[in-house]
Formats: sequence, C-alpha cells, structure tokens
Amino acid sequence: MPQYQELPCGGQVLDIDTALKDGILGAALEPGDAAAGDAGKQPVELRKMMDELDAAGDGGGDEAVPAVFICPISLEPMVDPVTLCTGQTYERANISRWLALGHRTCPTTMQELWDDALTPNATLRQLIAAWFSRRYTRFKKRSADFHGRAADLVHGLRGTAVPRRQPLKGQARVAALRELRTLATTHQSVTKAIAEAGGVALLTSLLGPFTSHAVGTEAVAILVCGVPLDADAKAALMQPAKVSLVVDMLNEGVADTKINCVRLIRILMDERGFRPETVASLSLLVGVMRLIRDKRHPDGVVAGLELLNSICAVHRPARSMIVSIGAVPQLVELLPELATECVEPALDILDALSAVPEGRVALKDCPRTIPNAVRLLMRVSEACTRRALSMLWTVCRMAPEECAPAAVEAGLAAKLLLVIQSGCAPELKQKASELLKLCRLNYTDTLFISKCKLTRTIQ
Amino acid sequence: MSVLTCVIESMGSSCSRPHSLNEAEAAENAKSADIDRRILQETKAEQHIHKLLLLGAGESGKSTIFKQIKLLFQTGFDEAELRSYTSVIHANVYQTIKVLYDGAKELAQVEPDSSKYVLSPDNQEIGEKLSEVGAKLDYPLLNKETVEDVRKLWQDPAIQETYSRGSILQVPDCAQYFMNNLDRLAEVDYIPTKEDVLHARVRTNGVVEIQFSPLGESKRGGEVYRLYDVGGQRNERRKWIHLFEGVNAVIFCAAISEYDQMLFEDETKNRMMETKELFDWVLKQRCFEKTSFMLFLNKFDIFERKIQKVPLSVCEWFKDYQPTAPGKQEVEHAYEFVKKKFEELYFQSSKPDRVDRVFKIYRTTALDQKLVKKTFKLIDESMRRSREGA
Repeated sequence: MPQYQELPCGGQVLDIDTALKDGILGAALEPGDAAAGDAGKQPVELRKMMDELDAAGDGGGDEAVPAVFICPISLEPMVDPVTLCTGQTYERANISRWLALGHRTCPTTMQELWDDALTPNATLRQLIAAWFSRRYTRFKKRSADFHGRAADLVHGLRGTAVPRRQPLKGQARVAALRELRTLATTHQSVTKAIAEAGGVALLTSLLGPFTSHAVGTEAVAILVCGVPLDADAKAALMQPAKVSLVVDMLNEGVADTKINCVRLIRILMDERGFRPETVASLSLLVGVMRLIRDKRHPDGVVAGLELLNSICAVHRPARSMIVSIGAVPQLVELLPELATECVEPALDILDALSAVPEGRVALKDCPRTIPNAVRLLMRVSEACTRRALSMLWTVCRMAPEECAPAAVEAGLAAKLLLVIQSGCAPELKQKASELLKLCRLNYTDTLFISKCKLTRTIQ
Repeated sequence: MSVLTCVIESMGSSCSRPHSLNEAEAAENAKSADIDRRILQETKAEQHIHKLLLLGAGESGKSTIFKQIKLLFQTGFDEAELRSYTSVIHANVYQTIKVLYDGAKELAQVEPDSSKYVLSPDNQEIGEKLSEVGAKLDYPLLNKETVEDVRKLWQDPAIQETYSRGSILQVPDCAQYFMNNLDRLAEVDYIPTKEDVLHARVRTNGVVEIQFSPLGESKRGGEVYRLYDVGGQRNERRKWIHLFEGVNAVIFCAAISEYDQMLFEDETKNRMMETKELFDWVLKQRCFEKTSFMLFLNKFDIFERKIQKVPLSVCEWFKDYQPTAPGKQEVEHAYEFVKKKFEELYFQSSKPDRVDRVFKIYRTTALDQKLVKKTFKLIDESMRRSREGA
C-alpha cells in the first residue's frame, strides 16, 4: 500500500518508495493491468474504467482515490492532468473552461498567471492510469469471482464439477443454496452466470413432492431473483406437484419466503401457457389471505393483494372459492388500516367478488362493509371512490330497507354530495345521485338533511 | 391426577396434627413428597414427547405405516417377531382363496353370464375342501400339497375372473402378492421377509404404540415421537376418543384406491364415502383445534393401476370428475382431483378459527419403505418448524 506523508501546507505527498514497491509508479506492471503504457489511448480507456467502477458502485472500494489525483475544480479524478505555471495541476477541460471565462488567475493559489501554457503532466497521468487500472483489475477479479463462485456452486449442486464429484446433499446442499441466494440477491449479474451454468434446470428439479422446506425456500428465492426463465422452465414449474410445494411453503414459511412464493406464482401466471386451474387451490387462497392479514409485513400485504387481484381477474371460478374461505369480511375489516397503495387492489378484489352471488351476499352480511366503504369515498383516488361507490350501490340495492339507513347513519349522504360537487367523471356523479335518491326514500326532507349534517350555506 | 390430589390432602392433614409425629408419619410424608417429585418429572418428560396418532377407516394402511416406522426407526423385526407373522400370512392365504371361491359361487348364481364363474369339477372339489378349512377359526400351516391346491384354484379362469371383480367382494389387497409367492411361503423353514410382514393383513384390535427417535440431525436434539395405531373398523372407533387428548399431530390415512369398494363391516357403504365422513368427523372434534393434520393419500400404487380401468366417477363424491387424456397424465390428473376434493372437505369442515392449524397432504404408498422414510422426514421438519413457532 502506498504511504502518504502529510505536508505542513496541508497536502499529501506520495511516498516514492512504497509507491515503487506497489507498482503504482508503473515500475512493476502486472500482466493483468490495462494498457497503462499507451499514452494516446489512455484517456479513453481510463474514462471507461472510471465510469464502469462508478456504475458498479465500487467508487469506495477498500481505498479512496488519492487526493493528488483529484482535480481541485471538479473534485473528480483527473483523466488528462495539465499543470499551470504556478505548478498546480488541473483537469485540462476544467482549467480551459476557467481560462476561457476570462480568468487569469490560478484557481487554488489565486496567483496571477504570467504564462497561459498548459503543460501536460505525463507523470501524474501515468500514475493515475496505473492506479485505476490496478483498481479495475481487482474489481474485475472480484466480480468475475462472484460469477465464478456462483458457477462453481451450481456445478457442485449438479454434480458436474471438475473434478467429478457427487452432487451435494443434505446440509451441504442447503448451505450451497443459501450462498447462491446471497450472491444472486446482492449482485444482479450473477443470475446470468447461474443460468449459464445450468442452474435453472437444477433449481426446477430440486422442487418436488419430497423437497424439504429448507431446500425449497432457497431455490424459490433464487428463482425470483431475476434468473432468466424460458418457456420450458416455466412449463416445468407449473407441474401440479411443484405448485403444491410452493403453496405449502407459502403457508408455512417466514414472511420473506411467502413473498418469494407469491412472486414466483405471479411470474408463472404471466406466462402464456398458464392454466388458470393451477391457482384454483383453497390452500393457496388461504395462504394468500393469511399473508394479507399479517400487518407486521407490509410488503407481504401488497404482494398478497396483487396476487389475489390477478387470480380474480384470470380465473372466474376462483372467485367463489375466495368467498367460501371467508375472504370478504376479512378484506372489509382490513380496509381502514391499509396503506394507500393497497386500498385500490383491495377494492378491486371486492369488486370482482361482488360479481358472484355469494360475494354479494357476503358483502351485505358483513356489518363493516357500509361504514368502511363510506369512509373511503373521496379519500384516496377517483378509482377507489368509484369502486367503493359501486360496492355501496350493490349492497344497498340488495337490501334497501336495512342498508340504506345504515349507510345514512354512517354519513353517506354528505359524502355523496361531495362526489356530486367534485370534479369526478360524470357517470360517477350520476351513480352518486342515484344512490342518494335511493337512500332518502324513507326519510322526510328535514330528517334527511339533518342526517346529512350539512352546513347552513349548502342547505 | 387423582393420585396427586389425595397425596395433597393427606399432606395437609398430616401437617395439622400435633407435634408428636411418630416416625411412620414422617416416612409417609417423605414418600408422598417423593411421589410428587416423580409425577412432576414424568409430566415434564411427557411434554417433550411428540404424540402422533394414526387414524383412518379400516384397511387404509395405518398399520402398514406403523410397521414401516418400526422398521425405519427402531431395531426392526427380530427373528422371533418375523416368525410370529408366519401364521398370519398363511391365514391370509386361506382367507383370500376362500373369499374368491365363495365369490365365484355367488357370481355364478347372480350374474347373467354365469359360465365365466364356474370352476372345473376338480377345482371345485379343491375349492370345497379349502373353503371348509378357511371357515374354521384356526388355520393349519401351508405345506407343499396345500399350496399346490391353492395354486391350481388360483389359476382357474373362473377364479381369475372373480378376482378381476374383486372390488365388490372383500378381497384383501395382499392377494396378488401372496399368490405369487406361494412356494416360498410353504417352505419348511420359512421365515417371513420384511416385505411379507408389510403385506400381511391383520385387523388391529385396540391400540398399539411405539416410541422412537428419528435419525439424522434431530438425533442430537433428543426428539422423541410416540406413535399410536388403532383399529379402523366402526366398532373400534369408540376406543379412539380416549387417545385424542394431548396429541400433537394426527396422521389420517385414506386409501384412495378404494373408491369402488364397499366396507367390510357394511357392504352397502362405499369405502370412500365412509372415509369422507370419518375425516369430517375427526376434523370437527374439539380436542383437535390446535392439532396438525397430515393427510396420507395412501395406496397410490393400486390407485395408479385402477384408474386406467375404473373411472373415478363411480364414487358419488367424485361424480363430477372429467377424465382427460389416457395414460400417465390421467393418473396425475385424477390424483390432483382427489386431492382437491379432500382439501375442499378440510376447509369446509374447519371453522375459521381453526384455519391456522397445519394441514398438509402427502401422497404415499405405505409398502414402499424409501417413500415412507422421505415422507416422515418432511413431517419431522414440518413439526419442528411449527414447534419453533416459525
């Protein structure tokens, strides 16, 4: 490691001996170093290296860029350092701009320049190039290492390692999968390496009726990391035995596992050859509802709601199944506490469920439907208001005598007036006014107005 | 519990007596304290034992699973135990051939094309002789001559024809296996193999239990399981209720291959319908509110073969089954259908507050030791996870 000496004026001086020893001065160029000797090509290559390091977030690395390499104007590492007559070095582009603006002083020392010459600082440039090329090689080695390590793990699991060994089993297998999962989640590019080493077929084959929970959770986690899944892989994953395993893990796993399972199912649902009956499983629906109700993990709530929404959209018979597991009252009870981004999918689901007769009955029977729906009017978004209004309309139409008074008690009338007066779509206003008419049927005018709790001006 | 109360009572009364306690009473106190300590110890030890209960209708495979667990996790069967099964196996052979012979006679009278079920005169004679033997309570051991007779009868086309109609009779599932191995069974120094023992059919009476520790990682943890096996026939079920308290998991065995068979104890009732009602009843028991349920859909090997010949829709519960392409796909499709039906039944029978209990379905073939071992590994993992409160 090159050592730096502190100068009394506050700068740092590169210690020559150690710099020589570590090859920073270009004296001991390693074979892996990028072309640090070719002066003409250097700036381009150097810039490329710097950009790549920056993009990979490796800017920090184990050591900061030495202060002497930084241009005082832009505070960025210099690619083409030039020295002024005052002896200060700047990036050529920056100092040219400074001078072009009409300044005749040295930016750092504030001395007046007696000479406009910009002398290229070849020494510094070589040092910078050498330093960065070394940093770059190390970076490449490390990331190649990740890829290499991932490929090694996959081969180890498959039993195709060189030299030939038995595929890993038991605890060793779980450990290898866990490491692979960590690699895949922290470095996105690793997923490609996994796929190239035959990882997709391996992971798919690992999922089966006798897969242990430990192995299954890791495999699913890796699969949802962005590993490219072709149509064959997805078709294999859609086999009932594998789907059963995923459903079991959805029911039994920790929150992260549940979310991964949900994501995997959604990936499969997007595939063209997807058979909707696959998701018509009561265990799956019960598991998703459990995830939705778990307030400790908001990510899970969102994921669960989105999945349930897709299921309702894709497979109509699933709607009756969802109603049969008691989802309607559970969702209705959740509505007040949901985060804003969750309200719309939840209302979408309830809307879809109200399309089947059992769903409508369940909505009507649930005591919190009306108050919660009224609260949501004009609260979150126009789409939500539309859905909530549609729910109230369905319920009130089914049993006007009991529902209309309950709705009015809950303050529906005031909200409806708000809708009518707002900038919503015309059909929404139309519906609102129809609902208002329905609700005021049993009330005299004065009683109704008092129920509306209207201010005198609107009256 | 009652022992504890009377010990406490006597302790209280002895303390209130005047100080002139003679030594006998002091010894009594010491003894009762000792009993208390032992009771406490045993209660604590009991809590670490995980109780599994095997339930299911008659002939659903509970005892086979029981035997498999014994083979896998205990010392297996020693020679004495193996020998004890010889008489059972021989009895099975006699029972099978008698059922078939009587069945052939009945079918010959009832069926329109009765000629199929008429045996050759020689075989009829053999049949009568064996039938008489089979009607007694004690069966003689098989020897070379008897086995010859049995084989001749078995190979008679009428008997084979009757066997193919086996579902309406009470032909045990082990029939084919034992008939194929007749020579070996009749050898003078015959010792039943593990395979033979697993196939042997004895109606369980009362309750049997074994205690074992599964091998592997959990051996360190000292996990102990206790497995209870019960008789499945209707008259045995009233004995079940005594076992229900404190059970950690119920393994409910349902033989999915018997969708076209009738009960042994009531030949008008379809076995699958009986299993359905029984499962429903068990699920609703109050003591199982927090118990994990493992449903073993058993006898998959027989199911596989049967599904090609007999449609699922013959069973009322499965009457809305639509077959798809024939072949292996059909088997998978049929299995998934049956599984969904059981799932539906589970969720219908479970009140919303019970939906959180663990419920898993496993496809099993109780005769396959490797499969049972793998299945049990999964069960072990699942129970450990639910204990750790994951």
